[in-house]
Amino acid sequence: MTVVRQIDPPEHRYAEELEFLVAADAGRRPPGWRLTPRAVVTFVAGSGGVPFGGRVIAPKFVGERALIERCVVTLAGERGLLLVGEPGTAKSMLSELFAAAICGTSALAVQGTAGTSEDQLRYGWNYALLLATGPTPEALVPSPVLTAMTTGAVARVEEITRCLPEVQDALVSIMSERRISVPELTGTDDAVAHAVPGFCLIATANLRDRGVSEMSAALKRRFNFEVVPPIADLDAEVALVTRQARAAVERGGAAFSVDDAVLETLVTAFRDLRTGFSAEGWEVERPSSVMSTAEAVAVAASIGLSEAYLPGPDPLSLLPGHLLGVVRKDDPGDAARLLAYWDGALRRRAEGGARMWRQLWEHRDVLRD
Amino acid sequence: MTDPRELVGRLAGDDRVQLIGVRHHSPVLAAAVPAMLDAFAPETLLVELPAEMQPWVRWLADPETVTPVALAAGSRAFYPFADFSPELVALRWARRRGVPVVCCDLPLADRAPRESPVTGPEIGPSLGAAVHRSLTGRAGDDLWDRWIEAGAPGSSPEAVRRAALAAGWALRHDAERHGVDPVDLRREACMRGHLRGTSGRVSVVVGAFHAPVLLDGPVLEDAADRPAPVISLVPYTFDLLDARSGYPAGIRDPRWQQAVLDSGGDPERIRLATHTFAVEVTRQLRAQGRPAGPGEAAEVVRLAGDLAALRSLPAPGRGELVEALQTVLAQGAPTGIGRGVAHAMDAVLIGRRRGRLPAGAPRTGLLPAVEDELGRLRLPGPGQAAQRIRLDPLRSPTDRERELVIRRLGACGAAYGDPGTSGPALGGEALTTVWRVEWTPSTDAALAVAGLHGVSLVQATEGLLAMRRRREIEQGGPTAEQALTGLEVAAACGLPGLAALRIRDVRQAVCHGGGIAQIVAGLNLLDRVERGHVAGLTTPPDGITDVRDDLHAAAVAAIGGLTGSARVEDARALHDLVQAADEAGRLMRLDHAVRGLARDGTPLMSGAAVAVGVLLGHSAPEEFGRRLASWADLPAAEATDRLRGALSVAGALLQSGGPVLEPLLDVVDGLSDDDFVRRLPALRGGFDALSPADRDRLLHTVGERHGAVREQLAAGPATVAAWLTADRAGLAAVRALGLTEPVAAAGAVPPAAAGPVEPGAISPGQRWRLLLGRETDRLPADQRRLATALDEIYGAGRGEGAYPIDGGGAGREPAYPQAREWLEDLESLFGTEVRDEVLARAAERGRLDAVLAADPQQVRPSVDLLHAVLSLAGGLPESRLARLRPLVARLTAELTAQLARRIRPALVGLSTPRPTRRPTGRLDLGATVRRNLHTVRPGPDGRAQVLPQQPVFRSPGRRSVDWQVVLLVDVSGSMEQSTVWAALTASVLAGVPALRTRFVTFSTEVIDLTDRVDDPLSLLLEIRVGGGTHIAAGLRYARQITVVPQRTMVIVISDFEEGYAIGDLLAAVRALADDGTTLLGCASLDDKGRPRYSTGVAAQLAGAGMPVAALSPTELARWIGEQVR
Repeated sequence: MTVVRQIDPPEHRYAEELEFLVAADAGRRPPGWRLTPRAVVTFVAGSGGVPFGGRVIAPKFVGERALIERCVVTLAGERGLLLVGEPGTAKSMLSELFAAAICGTSALAVQGTAGTSEDQLRYGWNYALLLATGPTPEALVPSPVLTAMTTGAVARVEEITRCLPEVQDALVSIMSERRISVPELTGTDDAVAHAVPGFCLIATANLRDRGVSEMSAALKRRFNFEVVPPIADLDAEVALVTRQARAAVERGGAAFSVDDAVLETLVTAFRDLRTGFSAEGWEVERPSSVMSTAEAVAVAASIGLSEAYLPGPDPLSLLPGHLLGVVRKDDPGDAARLLAYWDGALRRRAEGGARMWRQLWEHRDVLRD
Repeated sequence: MTDPRELVGRLAGDDRVQLIGVRHHSPVLAAAVPAMLDAFAPETLLVELPAEMQPWVRWLADPETVTPVALAAGSRAFYPFADFSPELVALRWARRRGVPVVCCDLPLADRAPRESPVTGPEIGPSLGAAVHRSLTGRAGDDLWDRWIEAGAPGSSPEAVRRAALAAGWALRHDAERHGVDPVDLRREACMRGHLRGTSGRVSVVVGAFHAPVLLDGPVLEDAADRPAPVISLVPYTFDLLDARSGYPAGIRDPRWQQAVLDSGGDPERIRLATHTFAVEVTRQLRAQGRPAGPGEAAEVVRLAGDLAALRSLPAPGRGELVEALQTVLAQGAPTGIGRGVAHAMDAVLIGRRRGRLPAGAPRTGLLPAVEDELGRLRLPGPGQAAQRIRLDPLRSPTDRERELVIRRLGACGAAYGDPGTSGPALGGEALTTVWRVEWTPSTDAALAVAGLHGVSLVQATEGLLAMRRRREIEQGGPTAEQALTGLEVAAACGLPGLAALRIRDVRQAVCHGGGIAQIVAGLNLLDRVERGHVAGLTTPPDGITDVRDDLHAAAVAAIGGLTGSARVEDARALHDLVQAADEAGRLMRLDHAVRGLARDGTPLMSGAAVAVGVLLGHSAPEEFGRRLASWADLPAAEATDRLRGALSVAGALLQSGGPVLEPLLDVVDGLSDDDFVRRLPALRGGFDALSPADRDRLLHTVGERHGAVREQLAAGPATVAAWLTADRAGLAAVRALGLTEPVAAAGAVPPAAAGPVEPGAISPGQRWRLLLGRETDRLPADQRRLATALDEIYGAGRGEGAYPIDGGGAGREPAYPQAREWLEDLESLFGTEVRDEVLARAAERGRLDAVLAADPQQVRPSVDLLHAVLSLAGGLPESRLARLRPLVARLTAELTAQLARRIRPALVGLSTPRPTRRPTGRLDLGATVRRNLHTVRPGPDGRAQVLPQQPVFRSPGRRSVDWQVVLLVDVSGSMEQSTVWAALTASVLAGVPALRTRFVTFSTEVIDLTDRVDDPLSLLLEIRVGGGTHIAAGLRYARQITVVPQRTMVIVISDFEEGYAIGDLLAAVRALADDGTTLLGCASLDDKGRPRYSTGVAAQLAGAGMPVAALSPTELARWIGEQVR
């Protein structure tokens, strides 16, 4: 029986491809790894259209290959890997892919929140058992990190900067000493849980998020940092947005009928506002809100849904309102910055005669307050 | 397409000619060249140097020459050499072996571009792109670096040579798709000619790009005969050799390249070199005070090595090393530690090596070149007398050259030309220049230094200015000011390349971090450059319109930052900005911003914004007129400021009369006398924004409406006086009879006094004279007292007409000899309330005597008054300060008490313990039991047992809560209201037991006034204003005094117009944020929440971790309370 999941974890989705890669490269692999580093890079970044061991591997992450290589090399060493970047740059997906490729599971994850406690990074107790049998290994509830240590797997900590600083610091001793001692079990063999070769840690953090706790310098020094940039290539981003928005709309059983030109316009606008530069090199004032690809997908899906259920004459007329909704999150000045975008890059394109941009310019009254 | 392998094989396999395709700097190739030459044993060596450089080969190859050195021919060609330049290695080899060397490149004299390249059609994907895809490394890396430098170590010399030829062939192949530069084709023809003319076995060391075409093809026949340029051999530095220095033909990170050369291309030794570099970078970081030790260095080395292995490279290349350093050390932070890492990497990888020439080498370089040029332009050279010259650079080409030489010498730091004034240029810019030029000994000295940067004046100037720019960038700049100066200098010196870079800087620095003044200055400068009024740049650089557009956008964005301004200059700047942005078509946001300003701005800015709206046609004149009239009823200060704002922008509009003026006239006419007198000081203050001449014109316009007010009465003064006397007598008689005033009396009044004015009252004409403070000598005596009392504070006004030739002040009452009398007069004429307002205004205008005369017990305390008085106090000697002290003391005490009443509630209970789930060591037993009731289990003895699954603790109480609040207050420029509020707030905060308050002021220097924080009076009197704004210095001090970062709040109160490098400021913010300090920027701290600040810088600060907001003291206290709880 196959259960339909909303999101399939990568180790299931690419199970067959991973099996193939295990066999395909017989090179030396770091202790505890299922694949060679080269095969991991190929699994994530694709084989570039050239067969790898007789089969072309599709890229799963759109981005620079050198970045993937650095990540993989970091994971083969002693330090943790910290993926930082703006929200919506597929950091979590990247860490899942690495975990699935290296140890076969991406499930050993801790989601960082302000409520995350030390128990979730170290261990907790099953109180009923504890009471009944006293402190025994059976009563111990291991955290995903502890499980990863004892099995030599990849542990993931998502959104590490959302944890309180003192909770984050629980990781310092884990990463430097590579063991967790359980004082309650002193005197038994289980008093200290040692890390098995293959254990490593991937954490992700947002750079531009409000309300995050800064990591301590001690913890920072135990990580190698990799900045995951937003997708550099317009076409790749348009393709990604189209694919994901289509999937989102079609999951609901509706047909996705948004024009490609509309989607390209949308993605271009997002990129301009995100980078602070238009494709033509004109300056654009950046709003402080996050203009990630994920947000672009959400807007594209919303436009797709309105087209499916409430078809109107021009899907482009919805875009200004949606953009305003994305931009106007915490800083009221951001709405003014969006107006500046309309005044600047967008007006110039409209004057240049581009059809889509001219239409958008016509819809400018939506933005007036 | 022929098989590339076969082609390369043919190139490499020629029997007579050994082609060595090189890049100008290539350590791997340089290491292999001697072995290649040894193996081939050529009889002649051809190198790709212009024929004119032949005599210099012996000096270049001299064993005493210490690299780096550079061969230069004027500004046309520049050939830097280092130990890792294959050409130099080959030259040295030839000298050792006694093999003759031929410089085979086309003479420089023959290199004028002839025709545009022949463009071929583009077919298929670029070969370079295809090759690049198959290589590893980052996407932006250079093809040669990846292919040869990273891939070749450990290969045999012959293999390296073939790889280099192949790379050259690929580059050539791609270039041919776009067409090769005709000069290059000609050079190759020349080289082929030399090759064919040389007999015997030949080795050719030539750019890999040219190598593929040297064996076959036509040779050069028509050698041009032109004067040969002067060649110079000059010492050089690694610093300049680095490709980022902006000098031609450089290479990234020369010191690393040297290390690769020293390893002789041996992978193992290159790997060892990475160890050295990694350790050195961490040492540099430690020297900067950042934690980085052997552990980090080891990880860098491992990462670089493993990356190389993963990419199948024999040894880590520069790319791998840089990637590893950034990944391990930079922590993904471009502003904080990332900047430190970049600095350390610069210091370690670029190096500081300097070249030296062998003894006996001919002296060449800048000095002779400059003397020649001065002689050519008939300007005084060494030993000649000083001259005074007037130049017209925009008309005469020779004058233009002279102007450029003088400017360039100035930019090199050589004192040569002394600018004079070129005569009156009122309201315009001077297009001619006047100089006093003389060669001084210091000119010699300065040129000797500048000689390092180039051998011609233009080259040296460009080099020096480019270096200055690099320094600025290293220090985190350039600042807006530096960018503008840089652009101005570059344009004046006629350096289009540098000007283009500087325009980019302007875009970066002024658009993002510039204040209003700088944006306006930038627009003006660009305007001048674009119109060709700067002699150096006859054709404006590309992209200037884009930058101007960006500046317009920045101008619109900056409008929001004016919300809190109370300066008339800002109101005028607003007008300029808006006008410019309006022309550029940025209407939507402009409209939004101007409306926002009209709604939320200070009265002054609000008034100005409303007026700007009319000028731009965004709103109708009638509407403006109605608003203007309505302001007359506002509270005094508000009315004054609004009028000031509106009039400083739209004074001329009012003069034209019509619908704009009508409603105001109606209101003024309609006021009763008492009301009018009460409103008079406020409105008079508003009209003071106009220059006296403007006021005269306005009075004239008003006079047209009340036409009959004119002095020439229709019936002659005597007759009218008789009428009036009779009329008065009649009125008195009627009254004496106890009758009510006859309505018909109005009819008896001559038309001059028409309107609802009581007899004997102030007529509209007189009202306007009082309002405008003009023609007061024509007023009746009692009204003249009003006018004089007001003139005492406002004077005759500023601007056009302020100093009339005919002594326009004549007819004014003599000024008050004593301030006390004046104050008494004010009180009797206008009432106490108005007197206080006028007093505050007088203090603002520096009328110390008035402030001293005021009775401390009588004035109403307000922050406005305190602020004004303190502004005066700044420059006073202690003796006079002592007299001011009672007033300040009373104001401070009252205001502090008021503020404390408002703030305290927000801070109450900070030290009361509250339940928390964070383990603090103090268990809250009751709460724990309540929280864990669901875990109650019966014990073996039947007693209930609670399992404390979720323990609850008490938060630390009074003793252990120990938050530090650092108030960093900007005291540059002037004493701002925010400063006063900050001091008052600090003294209230100092009374809260759970907080330790520190009060630090900063301008260019940082002063810690914490020891006075308990006493607001001495705190306020101790503050010294003035100096530039250096926020970063203040933040660094705050970081120093921080004890526990997690329990420290740093609150910066500033307008954020940083006068120093923005990069440095961001780094300082980042450093504090990285420590875990809580940061807050206050663009203003007052009751109104209307900040005046640089929006661009504030946005960048917010990005770096310091949110910026405008707060009232109560809000600030609430915020502090939230952080502590």
